[in-house]
Amino acid sequence: MSTVNSSDPRRPARVTRYKSPLAVNPNSSAPVPGEDPTADYMNVLGMIFSMVGLMMRVKWCAWVAIMCSCVSFANSRINDDTKQILSSFMLSISAVVMSYLQNPEPMKLPWEMLS
Amino acid sequence: MADARLKTLLVLLVLSLYVRASKYQAETEDNDFADFEEFDDDFERPYQGESPADGGGAAEPERAADVGRAAAAADREQQHDGDDDDDALVEVPVHRSTNWDKFYVEMLMIAGDDGKAEPGSGAGLLKESENMYTLWCSGRVCCEGMLVQLKFLKRQDLVSVISTMMKAASDQVEIRVTMNAEEMDTFVFCLANKKSAARLAKEMTDISTYCPERKSAERFGLPAHFSVLSEIHEAAAAVLDARVVAVVNKYPELVEYIHVSDQYSGPKQQLDDQAPVELPKVKPTLAFCFNLPGRGRLQPADVETVRPLMQLVLYMVDRMKRCKLGREGRLKAEKNRLRVQEIFLKQTHQSRAEKAQAKREEKRRLEKERILEEEDPEKQRRLEEKNEKREAKRRAQMRQMKVKAL
Repeated sequence: MSTVNSSDPRRPARVTRYKSPLAVNPNSSAPVPGEDPTADYMNVLGMIFSMVGLMMRVKWCAWVAIMCSCVSFANSRINDDTKQILSSFMLSISAVVMSYLQNPEPMKLPWEMLS
Repeated sequence: MADARLKTLLVLLVLSLYVRASKYQAETEDNDFADFEEFDDDFERPYQGESPADGGGAAEPERAADVGRAAAAADREQQHDGDDDDDALVEVPVHRSTNWDKFYVEMLMIAGDDGKAEPGSGAGLLKESENMYTLWCSGRVCCEGMLVQLKFLKRQDLVSVISTMMKAASDQVEIRVTMNAEEMDTFVFCLANKKSAARLAKEMTDISTYCPERKSAERFGLPAHFSVLSEIHEAAAAVLDARVVAVVNKYPELVEYIHVSDQYSGPKQQLDDQAPVELPKVKPTLAFCFNLPGRGRLQPADVETVRPLMQLVLYMVDRMKRCKLGREGRLKAEKNRLRVQEIFLKQTHQSRAEKAQAKREEKRRLEKERILEEEDPEKQRRLEEKNEKREAKRRAQMRQMKVKAL
């Protein structure tokens, strides 16, 4: 029994519990730097596009804002709070709805707007 | 005309909106893991065959799968917590979807802990995000624990898919083993392919501090596209023994980097404007990063090819105990570390001195304000006298210190 014990490398007494690196890092409230800022960038981009779409009544901006919100959702971490994602979705959907309510014309694509 | 165009555009947009390649990803995942199930009994025999010859030779052959498990079960019953949960670890039930754990269960006490649930309740792989999974294993000789991170390519949205297509990259497995301090000797070593070597030399605090030069790995018998960053040459030679070199030579494109360090503190944190307040906490660590074969198109059969690399990880964990530096090496390592500490103290000394100076200025200002506010002329005079005496004493002290410094 003792020989088998010494060749079995397991040591139950030496178990240390998992500490999530996000919990351990007290200095930053955000995730560890370098770990995928895509979700945050897309969030900001989505908000910018939806604001532009609302203010300037540019429809394709509003659609792109929905796309950005979806990309941000897809890239978000599991323990990120959902409120932010949800609010950006709401904002982009409201941008689309408002721009179509004000002007039910079909969307003019960007390259058409210039001509 | 405009309506038709708009409709097609909408359809395209909806299709591309949330390309959750979970189907593809899940397929590869399940197939990867499902494969391990078949090789249940073969697990330990390959390890036995390749394990170091001097590692308890007589005991090794006895450690056949069944004996090992039965002994482990008996072993655990002797422990004070003979829960059913622990016994469940011994025979990993077939329905567990993540069978990467199975391999590690034989080598480690718990595999798959999320820090909150009871140990042994089998959280398994933790999903950190759609393309990143984590597995924490702990409870073994020599090491505190091992964190396995599966970093897949991003397949969950169109933007990422397109950007991944443009870069030639593969799914990666990153393994970080935190060693016990007494098991590892003091040195910093890294073997990496050229691109990663450049990146690590810039990013990692310990490599940038202790390993200033990059050498080609050819002198150790490794392919030319690898470089070695090492603090002490003797240590590099000790780590890269025949077996490690053989494995790396067999799978050169799968090994991304191997980083051995007793001063590991992760990548450099973003520096604020002022110097860091204290030295970052260091832990002796082995970090490995392997590319999964297929360059993004993982086949179920490929996973078997990665197993020797996993065994390499455990082999190195066990071997670190025997990788001891000679006297010269140890002295050099000590010197380096003292030097780094001194530099750090000097840097902070200036900021500390500045802070002390600022505090003294503040106190003096407050004193002066109090004197001015004091209405009673008598008290004012007395306070002024006291203040002047204090200043004179301070000036005398400073002069003394300057003389001593000279």
